Amino acid sequence: MLGKKIKNGSIEDTLNRFLKDDQHLILGFEKGENGVSLRAFKNHLDHYSLLNPIFSTNGALHLRRLFSKGTKIILMLRPCEIRAYIELIKLNQIEREDIIAVSIDCLGAVSSKDKTDDIPTEADQLREYFKKTDTIRWACNVCRERRGVVGDAGIRIDRDGLFWAFSYTEKGDSFLSLIEGESEESKTEMLMSGSEKQDQFQIDMKTFSKDFSKCIMCMNCRDMCPVCYCIDCVFNGDEYLPKGDALLNKILRSGPVQLPQGKELFHFIRMYHVSQTCVGCGACEEACPQGIPLTKYFKGTSERLQSMFSYMSGRSFDEPIPYVTFLEDELKDAED
Amino acid sequence: MLQDKAEKNPEIIGFACSYCTFKASEMAGSLRMKYPDGVKLVQVPCSSRVDPAFVIKAIFEGADGVFVAGCHPGDCHFIKGNYFTRRKIAALKEMFDAFSMNDKLRLFWVSAAEARRFVEKVTGMYNEIKERKNVRKEN
Amino acid sequence: MKTGIFICHCGHNIKHTVDVKKLSNFFKKYPGVTVSNDYPFVCSEPGQDMISESIEKQGLDRVIIASCTPSLHGELFKDLLKKSDLNPFLLRRVSIREHCSWVGDDIEINTEKARRLILAGLYSAAHYVPLEEKRVEVTKSALIIGGGVSGLSAADFLSKMGMQVYLVEKEAELGGHVKNLKNIWPARKDGKSIIDEMIEELAGRENVEIFASTTISGFEGFFGNYEVTLDTLEGEKKLTAGGVIIAIGFSPFDPRIKPELQYGKDKRIITTLEFEHNADTLQLPEKPRVAILHCVGSRDEQIGKPYCSRVCCINALRVGEAIKDKYKDSYVESFYMDVRAHPRGGEEYFEDTQEKGVLFTRANVAEINPSLTGIVIRGEDTLFGEIFEREFDLVVLSIGMSPPVDNKLTASLLKITLDKDKFFMEAHIKLRPFDTAVKGIFIAGSCSGPKDVEESINHGRASAVKLFGFLNLGYAYVDPFISYVDPKRCSGCRMCEQACVAKAIKYDEEKRVVHVEEAACMGCGLCNATCPSSAISLKGYIDCMIDDEISAFMEAI
Repeated sequence: MLGKKIKNGSIEDTLNRFLKDDQHLILGFEKGENGVSLRAFKNHLDHYSLLNPIFSTNGALHLRRLFSKGTKIILMLRPCEIRAYIELIKLNQIEREDIIAVSIDCLGAVSSKDKTDDIPTEADQLREYFKKTDTIRWACNVCRERRGVVGDAGIRIDRDGLFWAFSYTEKGDSFLSLIEGESEESKTEMLMSGSEKQDQFQIDMKTFSKDFSKCIMCMNCRDMCPVCYCIDCVFNGDEYLPKGDALLNKILRSGPVQLPQGKELFHFIRMYHVSQTCVGCGACEEACPQGIPLTKYFKGTSERLQSMFSYMSGRSFDEPIPYVTFLEDELKDAED
Repeated sequence: MLQDKAEKNPEIIGFACSYCTFKASEMAGSLRMKYPDGVKLVQVPCSSRVDPAFVIKAIFEGADGVFVAGCHPGDCHFIKGNYFTRRKIAALKEMFDAFSMNDKLRLFWVSAAEARRFVEKVTGMYNEIKERKNVRKEN
Repeated sequence: MKTGIFICHCGHNIKHTVDVKKLSNFFKKYPGVTVSNDYPFVCSEPGQDMISESIEKQGLDRVIIASCTPSLHGELFKDLLKKSDLNPFLLRRVSIREHCSWVGDDIEINTEKARRLILAGLYSAAHYVPLEEKRVEVTKSALIIGGGVSGLSAADFLSKMGMQVYLVEKEAELGGHVKNLKNIWPARKDGKSIIDEMIEELAGRENVEIFASTTISGFEGFFGNYEVTLDTLEGEKKLTAGGVIIAIGFSPFDPRIKPELQYGKDKRIITTLEFEHNADTLQLPEKPRVAILHCVGSRDEQIGKPYCSRVCCINALRVGEAIKDKYKDSYVESFYMDVRAHPRGGEEYFEDTQEKGVLFTRANVAEINPSLTGIVIRGEDTLFGEIFEREFDLVVLSIGMSPPVDNKLTASLLKITLDKDKFFMEAHIKLRPFDTAVKGIFIAGSCSGPKDVEESINHGRASAVKLFGFLNLGYAYVDPFISYVDPKRCSGCRMCEQACVAKAIKYDEEKRVVHVEEAACMGCGLCNATCPSSAISLKGYIDCMIDDEISAFMEAI
């Protein structure tokens, strides 16, 4: 594939050149005292980090309802973040016009909840680090797409440790043109290949109840989900929220129930709502104060439901979300 | 006694579209066809009105089974509504399947003329659920 | 909230398997319920008076009528509320007859089911809001599909009453099957002369436009203003019709479907239609032996035609009579299951034919074997339980009526339903036999089930009268059940817009929310189910109504 080799430090030079314009912004990662975090850069980069080995929130979350025209933005984010960004474009929550989305090969991340002091930020060191420890997040371990192959452009690492930039769209071409040097054929194989297929998610209600028994219905998982985009969630109204009388009747009819009520409903309905758009980033689990393994459920169900329609969230800008379209001749198995 | 009855007999909530399945159920009634009392219908204008959230709600409120029924594909009064229903409910079925609850949700097409089919479908579903429920109880 | 609950006994229909007293007593004490009564016939005049009196005296703001299914007496109860100055959409009908008392036998179980059904209605109705029906202008024109006797008689009536009539016929000539019949029982009239008379009537009228060799290629819109695209010989033509009458007739049963009849393999085996056409030219010996087989393509479960075609017995009698009249010394034997000569004068005609010497044998015909000398019929005489074998010179199959060939195409184009036999289905077999489920679309003639010529003419005229009632008013009210958007809750994701089949949802670039084009909205509710935050809702079926209904069914409310 034709791409541009990125020489040492040249990506930062490129981005800095782009930032010279007052109307230009870059959303990427910054090395700070408290580890690596998401940052919007203006004018010039400072403590820039290409990779972010700590996952706290999904960067696309902060892009929701970004319609500003005139400000040009380059996103330098993880593949899972770019995928969520693409889903949000389909959901009309982001205006794509002035944004170039660049996905960067992701080596995985540790949870922001874990000890993060000693974590390196350079690719080769990070690889060594994850080889030695098992602190990598579960969501990253089972990631469906850790390669920088989504969005407008991608930054990939080859087996020799060299960085490459590839373009996937016209916008990507304009990104590549910012980088000095000529395009050339990348002969060395890339470091990362496609993810292994995971076993189909299968569970029972007993395990579900056990896992979610700790839920306190704080709805943080919803608030931090990048693709849970509604400005007013159905769970804000009283339709699906527990009512005391209803609870009494239910207890009288079918015996004692677990409290708080309505959490199964909440998680199931949310699971359905994000079933086609979930990118499996695990931001929900990150946000859960109770340590519920949400990724397992949300990623698991969404992958099953997406595969029914040969759909993959954030894979392309053009695939419509399956629930707003149909084929006349399909899904005969679902009919009883 | 009543308590015992309530425990053993499944409760099934069905979403029936006004133009086909609900009409078939009316006809089934007029023809004095019998089907279990546990089957209760929610009338919706089109099966595409059925938000999967309703199905999930019905299940977690204690229904043993839920069915969504509409006009046969291609015959929708609202032209294409039931194709969307099929996508959504098929996805929801897959989700229930992931939670090993695949017996709880059904999707079927019953036209206004198919009173017998309506009764067969709901009775069949009822009996299957009842059987499974009682087996579970015995264990 | 002041809710009035009225529980109908429907004579014995509900009362005998539902404890109506227990129900009305239960709801008397229920919070928010002001009145709870049971009454022998709520739809009767005293029943209606009871309701309107309660509305006025108690100031009810919700009315729940637990009775028959909502599609019956709908207008009656709506008008009742209107007369009492209550918005008709604050009425909730609960079906405790078709969905409860008639489908179960146990009074205890049924009462409990009815209680939950009413409870669901009660909780759902609590969310009701007054709705306004929208008035639409109705184009005073009718599209009549099919130019057979029923179509022609419908066209005759409607045009006489001043409506614009568009008559569409697939064939080059009007008249359908009737124009080819030579001798129509009982008037003994030539079919062609009947048709010519009807066409002549229409010919002079300015408000009749006839499209022959024309099919319908597009059908959109709603009652009052259906947009129709015709595929004529001169190319495409568009027109607006206020209402539609479908009169596309039937197709004769093709006996080839039953190979054991040997039809098509031997010239001596013919159908009643062929006999009609060729009666004069048939080559028969002086003393012909003729067999007539009844119920070919009727009352036959195996080929999916369990219905009686109603015309073929008379046709069979006519064949017998014709042979006997022409050949005094003929041997004519009719093999029947039972003779259903149901039209007026039919029984007498049956006797006449017997007197003329036609033999009637109740039989199961097992085999038909053509041989050199004749056609051998083997079968069982079911009255005497004997096996017989007889040879005939001619076998006439009295064929039944099958659904029209274009039934499926028409049904899917006009979005109407076929019944189990694949004829068009009426809205209600007794109360609305001419209507389809779609407002403004009517059925006439044998496309709604086998009919003879007289019945078809009457049926066509009756449908025309029904349609005239709608058209002549000049306006109609459309259901207010359309979607609306809460702009504060709309995220502007445009999922509903993409899904909407009617393309009734429009996006506002400025406000970044959607809105509904009311005139285009069909009211299916797909948008409501597609929107994850239900910022778009379908009036009359909003989330909380259905959710509470579910909760009430499960008694978790």
